[in-house]
Amino acid sequence: MAYVITEACIDAADKACREECPVDCIYEGDRMLYIHPDECVDCGKCVTACPNGAISSEYKLAAEDERFRDIAVEFFDAFPDANGGAEDLGPVGADHPTVAAWETGGRT
Amino acid sequence: MTLIDEPVAPARELTVLGACPQDCPDTCAMVVTVRDGVAVEVAGSKAQPYTNGGLCVKVDNYLDRVYHPDRILHPMRRVGPKGSGEFERISWDEAVDEVARRFTAIAADHGAEAIMPVSYLGTQGILNGLNVGDPFFNRLGATVAERTYCDAGSCTAYAMTIGDTAGVDPEAMVNSKFILIWAANIMSTNLHLWPYIAEAKKRGAKVVVVDPVRTKTARAASQHIPIRPGTDGALAMAMMHVIINEGLTDDDYVAAHTIGYDELVERVQQYTPEWASQETGIPVETILTLAREYATAQPSVIRIGVAVERHAGGGQTVRALSCLPALVGAWRNPGGGILQLPLWAFPVNWPAFMHPELLPPGTQVVNQYLLGQALTGQLDLRTPLKALMVYNSNPLVVAPDQARMVEGLSRDDLFTVVSEQFMTDTARYADILLPATTQLEQEDIMFSWGHLYVTYNNPSIAPLGEAVPNTELFRRLARAMGFDDDPIFTRTDEQMIAEAFDWSSPAMEGITVDSLKEQGFSRLNLPPSDEYAPHRDGNFRTPSGKTEFVSSAAAGGNFVVPLFRQGSNDHQPGQPVDPLPHYIPPRDNAAADPELAARYPLNLISPKSHAFINSSFANIEIHQRVQKPATLLINPADAEARGITTGSVVRAFNDRGSVELLAKVDASTMAGVTVCHVGHWRSDALGLSTLSQLNPTTFADLGNAPTFSDTLIDVEPVAAQEG
Ligand code: SF4
Ligand code: SF4
Ligand code: SF4
Repeated sequence: MAYVITEACIDAADKACREECPVDCIYEGDRMLYIHPDECVDCGKCVTACPNGAISSEYKLAAEDERFRDIAVEFFDAFPDANGGAEDLGPVGADHPTVAAWETGGRT
Repeated sequence: MTLIDEPVAPARELTVLGACPQDCPDTCAMVVTVRDGVAVEVAGSKAQPYTNGGLCVKVDNYLDRVYHPDRILHPMRRVGPKGSGEFERISWDEAVDEVARRFTAIAADHGAEAIMPVSYLGTQGILNGLNVGDPFFNRLGATVAERTYCDAGSCTAYAMTIGDTAGVDPEAMVNSKFILIWAANIMSTNLHLWPYIAEAKKRGAKVVVVDPVRTKTARAASQHIPIRPGTDGALAMAMMHVIINEGLTDDDYVAAHTIGYDELVERVQQYTPEWASQETGIPVETILTLAREYATAQPSVIRIGVAVERHAGGGQTVRALSCLPALVGAWRNPGGGILQLPLWAFPVNWPAFMHPELLPPGTQVVNQYLLGQALTGQLDLRTPLKALMVYNSNPLVVAPDQARMVEGLSRDDLFTVVSEQFMTDTARYADILLPATTQLEQEDIMFSWGHLYVTYNNPSIAPLGEAVPNTELFRRLARAMGFDDDPIFTRTDEQMIAEAFDWSSPAMEGITVDSLKEQGFSRLNLPPSDEYAPHRDGNFRTPSGKTEFVSSAAAGGNFVVPLFRQGSNDHQPGQPVDPLPHYIPPRDNAAADPELAARYPLNLISPKSHAFINSSFANIEIHQRVQKPATLLINPADAEARGITTGSVVRAFNDRGSVELLAKVDASTMAGVTVCHVGHWRSDALGLSTLSQLNPTTFADLGNAPTFSDTLIDVEPVAAQEG
């Protein structure tokens, strides 16, 4: 259960959402940010903070953004150190493979 | 076809400043965007420093609630059998006439005490919340409803020790060096406090969580101390033992600002860390370190949650916890002390909302936890109950003893009126059902029990259908009953708002209704949080002005704060109270009742849900998806011993009842402790029952607090049982 960051963040990654998160659970990948699915408390505060409309409740995702739910889960599986506070950790320095390989130019 | 050239009238959009009405300490300032009379967004106000622009999972989707297709929008009369939920629409006049006629007849035949209000905090505005029906029922002479759902025992204990003081300003907690979170899942139930705790942690504070469950809050803390349910008092007493015997007390503070220290020294000798370790399941070394760090890292603060009172010795647990800060001089600095209910900082004009002087002396009092018994002839009542009026509450889910409650509400000779937004489990049993507004459709003014801001709720949309605010509901009923000869019953909302506070009190200086309407909120006129140390020089709100280790108020015996009983002081529980803090073990445990513990070896605790507030929001789809169906968390060892796997259906049972739940095998709960979050509706439950079937009606030691956490059960797989 969580909020999910989607495609509109890729290469934007301005971190505006991270400042707003009351529980500091938005972690910095390389090309985008990821919300920790177990740490997010579903408060919705990041949604309005995002200038790109990239964030949504996992239960209100647009069909084409559904895959970002799994992307987040797999990202945190791959980087188990990314927990307990995004600010302390700093940038993870890597992305989920799907995001790393994402071609810019928007969704098809 | 394109509409592109068609002229479109510009939408009339406005933003309205509001306040979250829910029974939550945070009382968030909201901003509602309204377009052409329809609310299109509810968001947190960025201007309010404490709630800081965010809401929470419960209220961020508030429009789903306001515009939900299941809203009750018209008065209705029951046509099917009780509980069937079959109703026909009637007019407000018909509804009010029928209620007045029935109440009058019942009062004439049986006495007005045969009528009882049932309510709590579905909304907590000063106008529409806790006391909204009190003047009406006090004038009627109805049975007084004692409502001890939340912190009633804690309030009695806290008041006995340090008086009704605000305690710590939560914003000052950034200065705390040691934060002890006790029985509170801050991230689910007090979210807006968390950033202050996180900031303190960043500045070097240690954050320790005492909780049987490894909650999100516990995981984010520096240390989690799992504790056996109901043994919190043993840990608190042992902390005092260590602090006193190791000379970690602040002697000057103790000498100047406390009474009864010598007696306390003697009392704590029996509560050794070794003894407490046996009782609580916490290693001796952990207890020693906790006591030492708590005492020496100043300022230290204890944040207690409501759960801390929910067992046989809940009151004495809070007595002990309220003694600790004075012992170590925590009150000397901003961010030091204990945070219980800063509600006490607000000069609310309670008498104007309760009007206790209208109550006939000696009127019978019934605690709402005993409603099931009261309705089924199992309580010794001077006047048996013949009518109920339920508002701001869904007792079938939030009170214990569900089976009896269903039996009682099904009585054909019981006349039940329910005012509601939705067809709750309780509303199904109504004879007359009345439509209630949501917060967007009503005006109100709010205190907070989690911060020091007054918040104003401007109405943002017109009431949907024929829904009315509770204030208007009681104006209509009062008129029909002929009470409008007294101006108390004809007050407009505006007049009530003018009476809400003692505006001449120093805390309200510079704050007016107009300034509140315009700004939406205002911090009480208190020192800035970085300077707020109200008990630096004592000034406790006790008879002695000191922290009373030996409580003078204990001499009057056990009591419930009159605020929770319509202002009445009659028929207080009154049993003698030991004036020194002490340990009362859980009632349902192996030491107290080995035979019971052999049959029901598992503790059941029922914390607040993440996505619901009590039973509110449990019918809204997105909240159901976040919260998931009613689930029992069980430790892997206990699950394995019973052949229980995640996702299977289990039966949790004891002598009081049985509930079917989905199992989740989860090491975040201690061995021997099961967890089921409260709030799911009976109508959504697997076996038409929820965990309130299993909970006891027995009170804790002080303030008639509930003992939900003092519940033993066993669990078995359903298939095996049927197999
Ligand atoms: S929904 Fe709230 S908790 Fe979750 S990531 Fe957004 S701001 Fe953080
Ligand atoms: S605010 Fe939006 S675009 Fe910026 S980092 Fe967060 S999700 Fe990405
Ligand atoms: S329920 Fe509490 S945290 Fe959520 S919006 Fe209301 S006051 Fe704020």
